[in-house]
Amino acid sequence: MSDALVVTNEGRSMKLTRRDLLAWSAGAAAGLIVTPIPWKILDDTSIWSQNWPWIPQPARVPVEISQSHCTLCPKGCGLRVRMAAGWAVGVAGMKTHPISRGALCPLGYGAHQLNWHPQRLREVRHHGSSTSWSEARAAFDKAKSEGPVVVIDGYPGRAASSVLEYFAEKNHGEYRILPGAELRSLRTYEQWTGAPAASLGYDLENSQTIISFGAPLLDGWGTPGYVTRLWAGKSAGVDDPQLRIIQIEPSLSRTAAKTWKWVPVREGSESALASGLARVLLEQNLVPAHGPIPSLTVSDAVTRTGLSEDQIRNLSRVLIERRPAVAISENENPSIAALNVVIGSVGVRGGIVRKSKTSHAYVSAGATISNARAVLIDSSVPWDFLPQTDGEVFRFAAWSGGPTKADWLLPAPGFLEELTDIPTAPALPVETYAVAPALAKTTSEVQSAAQFLVGIDSSLAPTEKIIHDRCADLFHKHSGTLHGQESIAISKIESIQKLEEQLWKGAVWVGEPLPPRSLKCELKEWPAETTAASASGWASSWKAPVLPSLASKLYIESNLRETPERGNA
Amino acid sequence: MSARYGMVIDLDRCTGCGSCMIACASENNVPSLPQATARTGLTPLLVRKVSNGGEGEKQREIFIPIMCAHCEHDTPCVKVCPQQAVEVDKATGIVMQMPQRCLGCRYCMTACPYHARYFNWWDPSWPKGMEKSLNPGVAVRMRGVVEKCNLCHARLHAAQEKAAATGKREIDPADYVPACVEACPTGAIRFGNLADPNDPVSKEALLPESFRLLAKLGTEPKLYYKSKEGWVRALAESNPARSSEVQHG
Repeated sequence: MSDALVVTNEGRSMKLTRRDLLAWSAGAAAGLIVTPIPWKILDDTSIWSQNWPWIPQPARVPVEISQSHCTLCPKGCGLRVRMAAGWAVGVAGMKTHPISRGALCPLGYGAHQLNWHPQRLREVRHHGSSTSWSEARAAFDKAKSEGPVVVIDGYPGRAASSVLEYFAEKNHGEYRILPGAELRSLRTYEQWTGAPAASLGYDLENSQTIISFGAPLLDGWGTPGYVTRLWAGKSAGVDDPQLRIIQIEPSLSRTAAKTWKWVPVREGSESALASGLARVLLEQNLVPAHGPIPSLTVSDAVTRTGLSEDQIRNLSRVLIERRPAVAISENENPSIAALNVVIGSVGVRGGIVRKSKTSHAYVSAGATISNARAVLIDSSVPWDFLPQTDGEVFRFAAWSGGPTKADWLLPAPGFLEELTDIPTAPALPVETYAVAPALAKTTSEVQSAAQFLVGIDSSLAPTEKIIHDRCADLFHKHSGTLHGQESIAISKIESIQKLEEQLWKGAVWVGEPLPPRSLKCELKEWPAETTAASASGWASSWKAPVLPSLASKLYIESNLRETPERGNA
Repeated sequence: MSARYGMVIDLDRCTGCGSCMIACASENNVPSLPQATARTGLTPLLVRKVSNGGEGEKQREIFIPIMCAHCEHDTPCVKVCPQQAVEVDKATGIVMQMPQRCLGCRYCMTACPYHARYFNWWDPSWPKGMEKSLNPGVAVRMRGVVEKCNLCHARLHAAQEKAAATGKREIDPADYVPACVEACPTGAIRFGNLADPNDPVSKEALLPESFRLLAKLGTEPKLYYKSKEGWVRALAESNPARSSEVQHG
């Protein structure tokens, strides 16, 4: 053993034996267990490593409440937005909203995070390469000078829509819309009543029986709060409800699982069932026979639908047992519309009513656009829609939905980043008007299609001016009620400024209902049967090609529902 | 007077839209991490689909929101926690989770009969800029701790501060509404003080169609469900939290 291991104590030398070394090691090990120091170090290291300085923390700033309206689909639900330092930090429903009544669709609750979605468009792109607004403007100007322009809008009726429509007209182009499922379901009545589909609505509040042919009434159809609150108040969990909802659908959907009665039929046989029901009602004189009788016999309907004859006969009786009754189709379906005429539901309280005399008919965009030099697509048009065209496509969008064949991608304002107005939602029985101010700061250089066009043609009125004019028109109408913190008749509002002030704070104007009989309907011949288009899905109205990250996460982790095929974060 | 906050969820009114889940996650700054799965994600409130197992027209489905039931008696998670990181608040009856004390052993997750507790596997993170949308009233929890529903405790604090500012000792019930209750579009989730016999929710909890999941365990959960359907009430004996799509009946 070397000298280094010899320890001197009071002049005597002591050798460190193997036994001493083992005893020392055992003592050290025992001491290590007893002493708190290593555990404390471990604990502190763990806590320190859990609280990295780069872990985001919420801003410690006061929260303010603002009222606005959702702009992510044409339903325009009332929002109560919590704002902190100029950013939206929470969204809830506006309880005083006369239509949505404090409810939102599930996606609305995560909408305030959409502006930071990884798929947010933040720069102008031309064939995938980054470029500038001035380049885009120059390219559009050039295309416009070479030929007609087609403008496509997915959310008609807004002030911004007026800019798009006026621009198309002024440049000898075309203005086309992409109607949602609710508006499509009212299309058939245009030719039978002479009233544009946008001026019609379903007066569900006064209905006693609703027969829905696949329309997802409790899963996003119409204004969510309006329909679900109606169901919850008059129908949910009651054996003999005040409002009977019958769902005709091949499989047990969310709506079918909750309605008073679910009738499973064969896929695509909705039209046959509607014609079969009409045939039974007319043959048995259960309704007055004024018009044509469907050629389809009851036994044909039995074969097509998979239901028994008794089931069809019973269903027809149930349909007229409690009236007003109204049939709703998922899409444009003339047979179902004709059933409404047979049961006398057009132009009656609780049926299909006219809400406006000023709306005009729109032309839908087709899958092919010929003879256009430039096609401008507004950000309200679903991402998947891209017509076949030889023209140059200028696609506005706030979020990217994946690869696209559009020539130009132009970043549009996101959630609550732009001033817009909220016209009447499709399918509502009354007219409404509201304003959604730009509450949130913009996160990048964005422009809406309307702003872009106003930048090109300065003779076009900007959205702000059109909204101001619309407020003035509303004031001079002296009709309807303004629903804000309290409800007040328009005639009692002192000035246009006061009205505007209220609307900018989240108030909603609701018009007076028109007399139901103002809608006359004539059915000359029974319509040819169409195969019902498949249901549009629960989030079909959602205009963004992405879902809020929280919605994607929770639907996937809960296995509650399949998220639509969109780019999810 | 101490309160006993609880809920009655009317399953006949729940359409399974999931608004409550999203509102809950948004209120409580739950991150949407891409690496999270059904097993590892944070879902303080989870809506499950339950089928009666019938065929054709006899097939029925309901949706059942599952969250911490705030057990009042012999609270399983409190009993097993070695760190005293879980406690039943005597003033409110809310089962509180203190992330600062939690060492992440996950005994409480094993003990919870409702599978309503979740482990924070990762550092919380959001896409660039999204931290600006976080709720300033709720702190972000760190990795390595267990989380669960605390009945939006931050909202209770805000209501208490508001009451104190006006010199009141009791909060206005209208000021304290959890995010899921506020978000439910059909009014299926109702919240109130079960200790107050005049509270509509405590009256509703006593109705014959109201029931609690696994009440036989004797933990006195303060989360009631309600349905007029017999097969739904039979769920009281089972645990719908166990699988994502439960066949029953």
